[in-house]
Amino acid sequence: MTAARRERAWAIGILAGLGGLAFLPLVARRDDVLNFVFLILLSITLAQSWNIVAGYAGQVNLGHAAFFGLGALLARSLWIGGTPIVLAMLAGAALATSFALVIGAPAFRLRGAYFAIGTLALGEILRTTVGNVLPEISTLPTATIAGYRLAHRYYLALALAAVSVVTVAALAGSRAGLGMQAIREDEPAAEASGVGALRLKLTALALSTGLAGLAGGLFGYYHISYYPSHAFSPTWTFDALLMTFIGGVGTLHGPVLGAILYIVLKEYLAVRWVDFHLLIFGALFIAIVLLLPGGLVQAATRGRRLFARGEV
Amino acid sequence: MNVLAQQLVLGLLIGGLYGLAAAGLSLVFGVMKVLDVAHGELIMLGGYGAFWLVALFGLDPFAALVLVIPLALVGGGLLYSGLFSFVVRADEETRVKNSLLIGFGLALALHALAVQLWTADERSIVTPYGGAVIMVGELAIPLVRLLSLLLAFLLIGGLHLLLARWRWGKAIRATAEDWQAALLTGIDVRRAYLLAFAIGTALAGAAGTLVSVGYSVSPSIGLEWTLKALIVVVLAGLGSMIGTFVGGLVLGVAEAASAAVFGGPYREVVGLVIFVVVLVVRPRGLFGK
Amino acid sequence: MLELRDVDAAYGDIRVLSGVTLAVGTGEIVALLGPNGSGKTTLLTSIAGLLRPRGGTIRWEGEDLATVPAHLVVERGLALVPEGRRLFGGMTVEDNLELGAFAPRARRHRAEGFARVYALFPDLRERRRQLVRSLSGGQQQMVAVGRALMTNPRLLMLDEPSLGIAPRLVVSIFAALAEINRAGVGVFLVEQNVQAALTLAHRAYLLESGRIAGQGRAADLLHDPHVRRAYLGPLAVRT
Repeated sequence: MTAARRERAWAIGILAGLGGLAFLPLVARRDDVLNFVFLILLSITLAQSWNIVAGYAGQVNLGHAAFFGLGALLARSLWIGGTPIVLAMLAGAALATSFALVIGAPAFRLRGAYFAIGTLALGEILRTTVGNVLPEISTLPTATIAGYRLAHRYYLALALAAVSVVTVAALAGSRAGLGMQAIREDEPAAEASGVGALRLKLTALALSTGLAGLAGGLFGYYHISYYPSHAFSPTWTFDALLMTFIGGVGTLHGPVLGAILYIVLKEYLAVRWVDFHLLIFGALFIAIVLLLPGGLVQAATRGRRLFARGEV
Repeated sequence: MNVLAQQLVLGLLIGGLYGLAAAGLSLVFGVMKVLDVAHGELIMLGGYGAFWLVALFGLDPFAALVLVIPLALVGGGLLYSGLFSFVVRADEETRVKNSLLIGFGLALALHALAVQLWTADERSIVTPYGGAVIMVGELAIPLVRLLSLLLAFLLIGGLHLLLARWRWGKAIRATAEDWQAALLTGIDVRRAYLLAFAIGTALAGAAGTLVSVGYSVSPSIGLEWTLKALIVVVLAGLGSMIGTFVGGLVLGVAEAASAAVFGGPYREVVGLVIFVVVLVVRPRGLFGK
Repeated sequence: MLELRDVDAAYGDIRVLSGVTLAVGTGEIVALLGPNGSGKTTLLTSIAGLLRPRGGTIRWEGEDLATVPAHLVVERGLALVPEGRRLFGGMTVEDNLELGAFAPRARRHRAEGFARVYALFPDLRERRRQLVRSLSGGQQQMVAVGRALMTNPRLLMLDEPSLGIAPRLVVSIFAALAEINRAGVGVFLVEQNVQAALTLAHRAYLLESGRIAGQGRAADLLHDPHVRRAYLGPLAVRT
């Protein structure tokens, strides 16, 4: 199979899997199962959104949480105010993307690590400011809590995960996607051959932050109560980064596999060893960066090759 | 007016620690072209290390520096050999990116480790003279923080002399300027990297010790201190340790001034805004040259 | 003595040297001539250990340098004055020279080294406390040669020492090279100033598109019609 066909096969497979999960609420009697899968679906969206900028355009955005947070903030306020949730989430995404486009051009003047630390600082500015302006915990009105239906959140998460996978699949096969990958490999060379680097990077950032904003909106819709600044916590960025790298950055299925593995392991380890799971993830992550820069996806490819050689 | 002056003095006092925190990062970044985002976690570990030494052996925290610094030196050497020596093999751009990722994983692991070992509570070292205050006119200057500032200054001065006079200090500076030219003069560049990283870690350990005396440590202070150090490095540029120290003082005072003007919670924001503005106005500028 | 046999070198996929074979005898002055982009700098950086050749062998006094790290190549007595000098601009002249004597063997001869460099370039003694950055191009080139001499080399390799330097200073640098050679140090010189290089050198190689295209005694090459046309034509005007 060629790489492109394999990617398409993965896209179909993942979407089929998500389709299958649509029946879960009918079967599962227990809320904790739905909550668990919800978390995986939200993580897939988040990881996939981060992957667009990091994996395709090659820019490590460490301020991703800011866009997630903006989406959560606006969507939740509008929704509590009476706007239908889907519209509220779209508004949150629009806010996240608008903010991204405002800061995008100056931020992309920074290269490599400078972009990374610049965006990290930006995210921290937003988090601190939101924490100062809105120090109170945000809790849903009692009437809303009474009508809270987990299944609604679940289906929305399912739809969003599907949207993120379709977006990345479409991007990967498009001219814009190829241009982004050219930038990732060698920006000056890509520019020299007529690729408009800044425009493509902004496109990647707009898509990425739009998805992050949607995911944030879902987060705001899902939780009964949380501190508004929590949605801006750098943890969201770091989680997305870990999942993407563990799975395989710059591929369609890497972030999906990474998100599943990350959440499953995290929940399992968190039960078993409480705080050690982060230690293990830290070590695992370092090992992956040093030994397997392509993540699980690369490990699978290598394994397949070894296996094929063994059989011949 | 007096309130403002008092705030500024306190800002100056913590600014010295910002400078010390930044010096280690600046050294590592300048010499190895590696961005160690776990620098704040190393500071945190230094703080807990001192806390332990004080608790176990009843040492005076400032005297504990005599043990913390060599321990951190060794720890830094191990960290370089185990992790960062793999990073410096790549070309410079990959190096920066990989170091960012490795540093990130390291930060995560060290944070989790600290939570395991010491719980998530804030701690600070208590000394018999901890509450002592020197009055200058109407300004109250906490003794331990003043001592911390002085020690930070002495350490930076010592580092400056080390880099200016010591044979390997010169080799480290030469490597920072042009590592290939350094190789051509017979300098073992890998060794210069090892030394720079070990010294950078030792500075982080010292900074952590001082933080745990005059202020407090908890497992989650890492990111905050990494950011402070990064801000100072961007402000002060690379190459001059004295300049880095002054940059730290400037940040401390700027934070205090902004807290006085906009209110306490905004003290963090000002440094970050300065940082982003400087970065965007001079992309790579202040870092490069 | 230095011997290269069938050396291939490449940057990524771009091949720069193909099957280069040459030798520089003890105490000899050999020039390497060739147009821009023919691979001269690559050849020198390969010998110095900064770039690992893809094939062939580089031997120095009988030892294969394939696995010797760059900083130990210096220790073995092979010094390179790189293109563009690559000095430590933020340091003083004295510090730059001292760094030249960093390796153990060179450090033992540190005092002699300083004496030798200051005798060759008296200017530098007066300016020893000055930052290298503040010196003129010619003075910087003297520091670069001086720094390489401080390593106590038996073979001194130079990459375009006359580049961007006032003609008067070029003369004194070439005079210094002759002086250095009289003390028994071999010189391997890459130079655009073909006239000057061939006047100084005993022998020369011609490198074209990464291959050795010719070689001979310097005096013969100076009168060779091909060399005069290809190398001296436009440059003869400059000198």
